[in-house]
Amino acid sequence: MNDILLDLKDIWKTYDLGATSVHALGGVSFEARRNEYIAIVGPSGSGKSTLMNLIGCLDTPTKGRYLLNGRPVSEMDDNELARARNEEIGFVFQTFNLLARQTAQRNVELPLVYSGMPRSERVERATEALEAVGLGDRRHHRPNELSGGQRQRVAIARALVTRPSLLLADEPTGNLDTEMGREILSLFDRLHEQGNTIILVTHNPDVAKHARRVVSLLDGRIESDTGNGARR
Amino acid sequence: MKRSDGLRVAAASLIENPLRTFLTLLGIAMGVTAVIFVVSMIEGLNRYMGEKVAKVGSSSFTVQKYGILTSHTEYAEARRRNRGIRHEDAEAIRRFASDVERVGIQRGWGVSPKYGSRSVSDVQMLAQDYDAYLIESPDIAQGRGFSQGEVQRGALVCYLGWEVADKLFENRDPVGRKVRLWGRGFVVNGVAKKQGSILGHSQDNFVSIPLGAFEKIFGSRRSINLIVKAKDPLRMEEAVDEVRMVLRARRHLRWDEEDNFGVITPDSLMSFWRKLTQMIFSVALFVVGISLVVGGIVIMNIMLLTVVERTREIGVRKAIGARQKDIRFQFLAESVMLCAAGGVVGVGLGWLLAYLVRTITPLPAAFPLWAPILAVVVTSAVGIFFGLYPARTAADLNPIEALGREAC
Ligand SMILES: Nc1ncnc2c1ncn2[C@@H]1O[C@H](COP(=O)(O)OP(=O)(O)OP(=O)(O)O)[C@@H](O)[C@H]1O
Ligand SMILES: [Mg+2]
Repeated sequence: MNDILLDLKDIWKTYDLGATSVHALGGVSFEARRNEYIAIVGPSGSGKSTLMNLIGCLDTPTKGRYLLNGRPVSEMDDNELARARNEEIGFVFQTFNLLARQTAQRNVELPLVYSGMPRSERVERATEALEAVGLGDRRHHRPNELSGGQRQRVAIARALVTRPSLLLADEPTGNLDTEMGREILSLFDRLHEQGNTIILVTHNPDVAKHARRVVSLLDGRIESDTGNGARR
Repeated sequence: MKRSDGLRVAAASLIENPLRTFLTLLGIAMGVTAVIFVVSMIEGLNRYMGEKVAKVGSSSFTVQKYGILTSHTEYAEARRRNRGIRHEDAEAIRRFASDVERVGIQRGWGVSPKYGSRSVSDVQMLAQDYDAYLIESPDIAQGRGFSQGEVQRGALVCYLGWEVADKLFENRDPVGRKVRLWGRGFVVNGVAKKQGSILGHSQDNFVSIPLGAFEKIFGSRRSINLIVKAKDPLRMEEAVDEVRMVLRARRHLRWDEEDNFGVITPDSLMSFWRKLTQMIFSVALFVVGISLVVGGIVIMNIMLLTVVERTREIGVRKAIGARQKDIRFQFLAESVMLCAAGGVVGVGLGWLLAYLVRTITPLPAAFPLWAPILAVVVTSAVGIFFGLYPARTAADLNPIEALGREAC
């Protein structure tokens, strides 16, 4: 199996605002291998979220080539993008983005609903995922009955339940206090040890320390890419 | 996503907002209630009219001075042109119409029969010749009807409707006693079986006497009515045509002149009735059409609002793998379920209303099966039509923008 999971070459994302145009990304090239743990850092407006959305198949680049697991995302139509999001990507958001009226269990099942998995199997997988993030006893709670850290763990369980190739997290600790943030980060560490590939966006240098590789963005370009020799 | 999961998601979001769901489907439900109610009442009346009033399937029809008049101009015209029916007309029909088995003569009149000091007003007097008596062939419950001799002689005898007998005689046996009409005594031969009422109008409130007796008192110059019985119930139309030809010939009507007499057949009664109910029905249809459009627009608005309200949810669903068509199906299913639920509630309410009316008034009601099926099909179609735009709006949302909603 190919060891390279992500392959971005000269990626541009340009927003046309009539008179002017904004280059949210101006030629980003970057590769990631399986089981890497990468932090993307940079000042506000530097293009971190834009890059994450592209990697997460929520968006397509204006220009450039993006291969995910060897498949060209830049050429995918809506159905294929949806399928890639479902099968290849697990997304964790700063604001959790759980469905408020559904139990933790149902929230975690949701990606499997869209992949068409039969109900009984779904329930089993979701239960497993919730147990893996330490919420086996909170399965039937709704988000408003859970703490922020617990909500984020539900969101992580939801991201992992399809066994994706890549876990993406945009400021996953941004809405949590230090204690809960630490809880989430140690969960990420464990997931990384278990073989998951993780990319997270953060402002916080302490958070970035957990990653083995730090990619620093400035004005839509990669300013530096350092770490424990993950770069080839 | 599997269709069943899509339906479940849609149903769940309806159940989560019961008040919104209820208010939204109210408009549709009201329209359907109205039309189901009207349909049930009309259908009930139709069957009732056919069986009890027009007596569809019987082989007799009546000929009288005026037919069924449906407008004031028709009435004025008939008043001017129509000529009364005479005994000679009956004779001519008996002689020349080969599809006719029997021609009876009868006259109707309101009377107040008396017995001793008791009196009943507004009783229908029916004077019959023997042919009319045979065609009518009343069910006599007590005593007997007429003999041929009595009718031919014009004997002063009668038989009573059940209600008249009950009111005049209470517990006494009326047979053999004399009822007074126009100051003369009529011997009661018998009492007809109780028939009940049609649309609240009693069928037992009559007294029958021989036509001869009537004409001894009042003469035979007035117009009479004919009851004509066809030989073959399947050849009613031919019999009607023959009778019309005979009467037209006797009255020297040219081919382009209208009949100057009336023929009332079960079919003509029914078609008159149908014309009447069709009008009511088309008004009801118009009302339901408007309420479906209004209800549909309400649902479209609510659905659009829902889409805005749930933009983030849609973003989340897309981010974890929902395809455009999954989202579209979810919202379309929601709107169809809303509409169809409105249809079902409407059918239920309409039936309930019709049932109540049937129970507490003499009006009949019937519940045709096609009505609920049609209601659900039509309301579902309304749901699809008015749900399509909101569903497409939801499906076309850009996931990033949908997720970014909270930012501002
Ligand atoms: N839809 C859009 N239309 C126009 N410009 C946009 C749009 N989305 C992003 N941008 C611009 O692209 C640039 C990068 O935005 P992005 O959200 O990726 O920044 P970021 O690094 O995630 O910042 P933050 O740390 O504040 O989240 C910004 O200058 C922003 O104004
Ligand atoms: Mg950002």
